[in-house]
Amino acid sequence: MPDRLHFRLKLKRGRLFTLDVEESLPLQGVTAITGPSGSGKTSLLRALAGLDLDVSGERRVSFCNADWDGPGGHLPAHERRIGFVFQDPNLFPHLSVAGNIGYGAKRRQVTSFDAIVDALDLGPLLDRGIEGLSGGEARRVGLARALASNPAVLFLDEPMTGLDSQRKSEFLPYIARAVSQARVPALYVSHASDEIVTLADRVLELGAGHITGWRTAPMRLNAHVVAETSPGVEVRLDGADADGPGASIPLALRALPGEAIGIGLPVESVHFSLHHPGAGSAIMVLPVTVTRPAGARGQAVIDVLGQSVTVPGVVRVPNATTLWMSILRVLPRPMAGDSRT
Amino acid sequence: MTVWPAIWLTLKLAFVTTAILLAVALPLAWWLTTTRSKVRPVVEAITTLPLVLPPTVLGFYLLILMSPTAPFGALWLSVTGDTLTFSFTGLVIASLVYSLPFAVQPLQTAFASVPRPTMDAARTLGATPRDAFLTIALPLARRGFLTAGVLTFAHTVGEFGVVLMVGGNIPGRTRVISIEIFTAVETLDYATAHLLSLGLLVFSFCVLMLVYVFNRRGGVRVA
Repeated sequence: MPDRLHFRLKLKRGRLFTLDVEESLPLQGVTAITGPSGSGKTSLLRALAGLDLDVSGERRVSFCNADWDGPGGHLPAHERRIGFVFQDPNLFPHLSVAGNIGYGAKRRQVTSFDAIVDALDLGPLLDRGIEGLSGGEARRVGLARALASNPAVLFLDEPMTGLDSQRKSEFLPYIARAVSQARVPALYVSHASDEIVTLADRVLELGAGHITGWRTAPMRLNAHVVAETSPGVEVRLDGADADGPGASIPLALRALPGEAIGIGLPVESVHFSLHHPGAGSAIMVLPVTVTRPAGARGQAVIDVLGQSVTVPGVVRVPNATTLWMSILRVLPRPMAGDSRT
Repeated sequence: MTVWPAIWLTLKLAFVTTAILLAVALPLAWWLTTTRSKVRPVVEAITTLPLVLPPTVLGFYLLILMSPTAPFGALWLSVTGDTLTFSFTGLVIASLVYSLPFAVQPLQTAFASVPRPTMDAARTLGATPRDAFLTIALPLARRGFLTAGVLTFAHTVGEFGVVLMVGGNIPGRTRVISIEIFTAVETLDYATAHLLSLGLLVFSFCVLMLVYVFNRRGGVRVA
């Protein structure tokens, strides 16, 4: 049973907007918080981090059974041990890259400074000032700074806002690697579905200051790296035969042999058919069995090579039907080393 | 007629005033920048008042306040055995009030330009409010600190009305440069008046240029 972050907040921000939410999140893996602009995602993160304590309202927050906000008062922001990655990196302009990363590390006992710098490829930048950094570099420094402060939980508030799509696809693997290596739970605010499919283990949805509910978690298949190729790796789905479907999938990803990889499947790039579709543009075609047909909520559970996957309401066929699943696009990420045995 | 006592007195007054005012203005400016208190506009107005009041008005009230018959002046007299009026200490107190806006406003402007999210980032990285102020806000506002110091100094050097009201015209004790000039003109000693006036003019010009050069060199930081 993972620890939980429980919150009940009722905060009036301005005349028109009230954040009124109550939920309990498991502190494990990545919880995505999504919703349209102005739905209160950022307000929620800031309130949880204790950054808006001057906003009047009702707040109860407990983290791992310790009260952050409660009848006994409020824990100040600097004692909450949150690694906050902001939309804008908010780097300290008068400090070097190393000074920025070391700011939190100096204030909390941290030993993993070098590992973080290496993982984010920041070694060559350490002595530079932050003014000449590119957008992507600045984001990496912001991420490294949050990780180096030895956080108990990571808050990422749309950390890719403002990057072009090329920079986004460069930065996303760093985030994926960071959340899996840091082995701390993360709250990830975003409305970009690719980021959510890549990273999220569960998805909470906000609308107009309220929680509208949990969305179906992104589909994800577990795999392990079997070989390194020159630009990336080849992975094998867990449960796949050495010469069967899913035995060797090429991915443009930096990973080590034997490393666990989660392969996120965007909903629109997964097709089901009763008969094998034959040769085509799909990355892979896998035989699957429906173990629980789509119910009232429109979710079916299928078995893929022994892995159980929840599929949002596309499969309306009887139990135990065998189908072919064509996968046209995948969004892989390294998984925490301890997430599987 | 030697002008050196007046110059020396003026510099001493300006240095003492600047040092004390920066120490007072720093917390005051930070409070004004960050507070959500309802009394903020009141405090802000009081802080800015010396900017718009005629020095004679300010000097008149200060004179009344410092007079040995007023509670403040009497208290000072009983504690120190000296009167505030027509003394150097009285001049310092008057200058503190007179130059207060010149110390507070540049600092307030500089603190206001420190982005709130940058301070938030420091907080989430384990910095106490005091720590974040010292390691983030203060270094980022250092130019405001310089501007405040220079402007306070220059403004104190040039003060006239308040000094005349509170300190009078006692050579070596309260006769600062501007009053020396006034006296020189009154006694038709134009050579001295020219010398001191030109000195003040050049000094003021150099100080202002220094401020602008410094602020320009730092440039506007693009986030």
